[in-house]
Amino acid sequence: MPLKLERIKEGQRVIHGAFPRYAEYNCAMKYMAEHGFHNVKFVMPPPLTKRTEEIGARYSPDYVCTPFKTLLGSLIEALEAGADTLVMVHGYCRLGYYGELMEQILRDQGYEFDFINLSEYDTWKKRDWLKVIRRIDPKLNIPKFVQAARETIRMMEHLDEVTSDYYQICGFDATGGEVRRAYRRFLAALYTADSGEDIEGAYKRVKQDFQTIPLNKPDRPLQVGILGEFYTVMDAFSNLHLEQKLADMGVEVHRWMNMTHHLLHYGEVKNLAPKIRDQCEYTMGPTSTANIWYAKACAEHGYDGLIHVKSANCTPEIDIMPVLQNISADYKIPTLYLTYDSQTSDVGLMTRLEAFYDMIETRKRALS
Amino acid sequence: MILMRDRRPEGLTVGIPQGLLYHRYSVLWSAFFKGLGITPVYSGPTSRKVLEEGAGVEVDETCLSAKIYMGHVKALIGRCDYIFVPRVDTFGHFRDMCVRFQALYDQCRNLFRSTGQKFLTYNVDGEFGITEEMAFLELGQSLGFSKGEVKKAYAAAKKEEQRAWREKLKAQEPLLKAGGTKILLSGHSYVLDDPYVGKPITDFLRSIDVTAIRADVVNRELALKKSVELSPTCKWEVSRELLGGIALYRDQVDGIILVSAFPCGPDAMVNELLTRKLKDIPLLNLVLDAQSGAAGVETRLESFVDIIRLKKGAL
Repeated sequence: MPLKLERIKEGQRVIHGAFPRYAEYNCAMKYMAEHGFHNVKFVMPPPLTKRTEEIGARYSPDYVCTPFKTLLGSLIEALEAGADTLVMVHGYCRLGYYGELMEQILRDQGYEFDFINLSEYDTWKKRDWLKVIRRIDPKLNIPKFVQAARETIRMMEHLDEVTSDYYQICGFDATGGEVRRAYRRFLAALYTADSGEDIEGAYKRVKQDFQTIPLNKPDRPLQVGILGEFYTVMDAFSNLHLEQKLADMGVEVHRWMNMTHHLLHYGEVKNLAPKIRDQCEYTMGPTSTANIWYAKACAEHGYDGLIHVKSANCTPEIDIMPVLQNISADYKIPTLYLTYDSQTSDVGLMTRLEAFYDMIETRKRALS
Repeated sequence: MILMRDRRPEGLTVGIPQGLLYHRYSVLWSAFFKGLGITPVYSGPTSRKVLEEGAGVEVDETCLSAKIYMGHVKALIGRCDYIFVPRVDTFGHFRDMCVRFQALYDQCRNLFRSTGQKFLTYNVDGEFGITEEMAFLELGQSLGFSKGEVKKAYAAAKKEEQRAWREKLKAQEPLLKAGGTKILLSGHSYVLDDPYVGKPITDFLRSIDVTAIRADVVNRELALKKSVELSPTCKWEVSRELLGGIALYRDQVDGIILVSAFPCGPDAMVNELLTRKLKDIPLLNLVLDAQSGAAGVETRLESFVDIIRLKKGAL
């Protein structure tokens, strides 16, 4: 992508920064990195493959959660692609410790790179995050940075909204693939966006496309709510394209958990905890309140089924399973629990999904 | 939690499951409840049966220690007015507990919902400024005791806890100066102190004339400060105490054994980091699961000790 090289002064280093693959959010990270800072070139890690998972798993401890392995693999692939600076985020669960261990593993493997571990900057004070920004670009152009941040946030919001629309309608495409093609065009436009207008234009186009493409949707299709662990539930590669598989069976797929809802606008739904007082008294983990509330909301809404997605060894999601089981029993909503690790096979998942589909479909007919 | 502000309870019994944080806080809890005139009911030592009962209720993928804990909870069902299950989120910045301790109380309520058993908790959450004392105050007051009564009981219990802790620290001092083979045991207290899981390890080490030093029996404040030398961004309180213990004791021992219950979340990562960083001292990474047979563990311990003695020229 056009990098404004002329703005980089003599002797100042260009940072070839990378962040591991995470669903389709890398387009937003790239936009932020290249438009917010004048000295950063974003190195896009290659799309996740079996190889990513394998090299990640090879160097990871056995029973760490699966996203650690996938992200580590993606970081290695980013280094192979020419990145010299890696970024790792901070988090409330084990995610907060990913950075330090990943850095150690990569250094032990002999890689040379700069590592920006956001856990090191976490002091419970928001203003300390500015130190990270200053470290990357000491001569930061603040108005430009703020504008890029605003546009990046818009991009993530659009991406989440369109993705959510997409999985609700693509199973009922009457044209044999137009919906999918429109969505792919939208993603491609985001990955190559160079301005706020590019982002808004892509968004308007895909919204128009989704409205005009003829659909063959019954009045009351099968509705399934997807919830679960922050990484695996959003990342299509990691959950073996769960949502696409369901949509292809003719299911309206709903998922609340995404960046927009959980990170950007979580404050707006802050009062989730009182709504689940019957289920739990306290916060049970980083994403537990949202997931328990969403399971309950789907059940109250009369959805036909729930799917709980998590990676192997994800402690917070394991711990809310008894709550979900009680919701499932109380509201009589079938719930499928899926645990993913690097061994989970596509065929095995398909068999379970088909059986689940058959069950909720038969149940719906019997109940109506 | 049921509020009983209207009158003071008489002859109240509270069940204390002897798993997880019990091993860290046994003195404090017992003294606190007794100070309020509440009779603690204990679940008894861990056994094969406790583990099996717990594994039957708890979600498959949880750790060995959580399964054992649920076995203890199950053993107390119907035997007391309340079962006491604490919730500890964090003690402060970079002083978190494993997320399991955030969920434990609500998890118990959900797992044992059909039994009608009432549960009791206290909630420590440093991020919202809720200290241990405030948590105990809320617990006592919810049971109908006055603020003064609870404060007094807590202060007395805390004093007793500190006295017991000082004794524990003092008891380890001569061991550090002892001759012969010394090995540092690093593991959560609910693993090492558990009579079914951890005790066979210490017993066996003693039987082959090894002095076992505990990494968690250490000046905790100092250990927290020292822990950053080994791992600057580790945020788990107990892991940091262990890291600090290792940093403080490593020069005084011949080897280190990292004892972990499968699949402990923090240990999976911290112990990996330790095996990568501690290159100059013999290190054994021992992971215990529900299938661990005594013979297998003993063989590994014995060969580890043999290597150390061979290295020292003592074999």
